[in-house]
Amino acid sequence: MKFLTTNFVKCAVKGCQSSTESFPLKYSDCQLVQEEQEYNPEFLVHMLERLDWNAVIQVARDLGNDSLPPTKPDSLDPIMEEDQAVLKDLHTLLVETQIVEGRMTCNNCQHVYHIKNSIPNFLLPPHLC
Amino acid sequence: MLPTPEVKHIDYDTVYEPSEDSFLLLDCFEQELSFLTTKFSTTIPIVTEIGTGSGIVTTFLQKNILQKAIYISTDVNPHACKTALHTVKVNNADSESEKSEKSKNEKSTPELVDICQMDLVSAIRPKIDVLLFNPPYVPAGEVPTIPNKEDDSTWLDLALLGGEDGMVITWKVLDSLDSILAENGVAYILFCARNKPDFVANEMTKRGWKVKEIIQRKAGWEVLCVLRFQRL
Repeated sequence: MKFLTTNFVKCAVKGCQSSTESFPLKYSDCQLVQEEQEYNPEFLVHMLERLDWNAVIQVARDLGNDSLPPTKPDSLDPIMEEDQAVLKDLHTLLVETQIVEGRMTCNNCQHVYHIKNSIPNFLLPPHLC
Repeated sequence: MLPTPEVKHIDYDTVYEPSEDSFLLLDCFEQELSFLTTKFSTTIPIVTEIGTGSGIVTTFLQKNILQKAIYISTDVNPHACKTALHTVKVNNADSESEKSEKSKNEKSTPELVDICQMDLVSAIRPKIDVLLFNPPYVPAGEVPTIPNKEDDSTWLDLALLGGEDGMVITWKVLDSLDSILAENGVAYILFCARNKPDFVANEMTKRGWKVKEIIQRKAGWEVLCVLRFQRL
């Protein structure tokens, strides 16, 4: 599961749908692997537009990374050298970082989901369906 | 013709084997290429295939139709999830010749596909821009329950049996389409004649959706079609 995907998944429990606490999930006991991917700065700039930055910061912190800027970097220009460095870092974090094993906990209902072999499992036990 | 993803490595006792319906979807998207690339020329869409199975359709889209997109496909079947992820990896491992071909052309994009084990889209944070679904459309007495063990022999039934009219699962998706799909979003759903797609199209039109049949084909004794749903 790519770091990026943490920005698009939430708790599957029905009662948590309206809760702002059910996203992002809390990530713990995670085993990370870096996977080499094509670096395309122009694409990355567009991709950033789709992201909830607060969730990016929160999940990065869960995984032990406190170095992200508090607001979403915007108007990044792939031609500028200092922006290049930011984009390269974001590429490494969002696109290349894989959570291979780990736990995801809903901050609202405390239900724990597991990631195994890079696949997050959001199936619920019958009593929660 | 666009290349069909490689799916040779699959155990078809546990995962749905790409069949006429899967290939109809590939042809449907080949036909929709310019519609989709035009529609999402300025934004990066979130693409989700429900019940991705072998992963052939998701991989085809990522490789050939919408390269600049974020894919989160789902399946309830753990074997399908593993297989689909493998299909994505196998088809994205470029040969050297492909690599040099690429560097000559425009910059390539990273492969952004994840496969999540879940029921329909229950854990995906809305909104989805492109939704694809090849549902369990075979009419049956009832919809099978989700097994609780990985080595259960009935996982494959979930890919096939759709309860009354083969529509029980499809209606679940159609009924929640409004909350799943982004404002500018589009959904592609496959039907067989026994699902009464004309009735479905009428009903959804009444609910304020623009419905269009993209492709239709006779496959053995079945007639299959793909309907496209958008907001008016």
